[in-house]
Amino acid sequence: MSGRSSGSRAQLGSSRISDDQIIELITRLRQQLPEIHQWRSDKASASKVLQETCNYIRSLHKEVDDISERLSQLLSTIDANSPEASIIRSLIP
Amino acid sequence: MMHNPSKVRQKIMKKWIMGLRSCSSSHENLSLSERRWIIKLSADLALASVRNGSRRWSRAIIEEASRNPDNKGLIQRMLGSGCDYRSPCLIPREGRSDGNGAGHVTKSMWVATSSKKIVKRCRRARRSNGRAPRRNEAASIAKRLVKKRTQLLKDFVPGGQDMDDVSLIEETLDYIVWLRAQVDVMRALAHSLPATTSI
Repeated sequence: MSGRSSGSRAQLGSSRISDDQIIELITRLRQQLPEIHQWRSDKASASKVLQETCNYIRSLHKEVDDISERLSQLLSTIDANSPEASIIRSLIP
Repeated sequence: MMHNPSKVRQKIMKKWIMGLRSCSSSHENLSLSERRWIIKLSADLALASVRNGSRRWSRAIIEEASRNPDNKGLIQRMLGSGCDYRSPCLIPREGRSDGNGAGHVTKSMWVATSSKKIVKRCRRARRSNGRAPRRNEAASIAKRLVKKRTQLLKDFVPGGQDMDDVSLIEETLDYIVWLRAQVDVMRALAHSLPATTSI
């Protein structure tokens, strides 16, 4: 198991991936998380980063749903002649 | 991953609004939930389209949307009928899980897949002092936890079920950045409209 030796490798199909590569990916993942999904300790265990990543993506998906809900109420019609449509048109350069 | 975020947001916004407007003539009296569906779907497709199929997650969004025949029209209008987003390396559906994390077997970078290693580990544990088995146990618990969380992540990334662990994380890194852009765009539109509706 890779916990015992630093040089251990896990197999991945035809390519081998090093522990360093894993650490690098997890670090980059952690850097993408906003602060609210981070935690004080520097020790970023892989499972913690993965968990927080799931939480973060879930919150983004929820925001998409919430905004869609809100917009469906705001855009009472997607008719091209509505006042909303003219605002929308003005947003397009 | 994203060299010019504001340009990307602009593209997503344009594509999204183009999709919304393409619906205006065909459906006059939409229900609230139909409107919500169109708004969300066109935003998702705008994101996938702007990412241009270079990422597995962006192709997966389009593929998954295409499975619902009701979406065909919007997909065609937004992405064109000569849709070349279909990846030749698509793994057929029967290999997929129902989202409970069972999934088909993929090579995991977290778990020692070889049974030989496990046997070696036990042998080593027996030979060495009393501390070694506990360390192994902690390591194997950690590995199980990581494997469990990796399986969970697959449900959140489009197309994740068919990815190996390394691709999954690389796709996730990309997906997060672009999904954030989609949310920014949607938020911008929602804030720009007046709070009251006109009928």
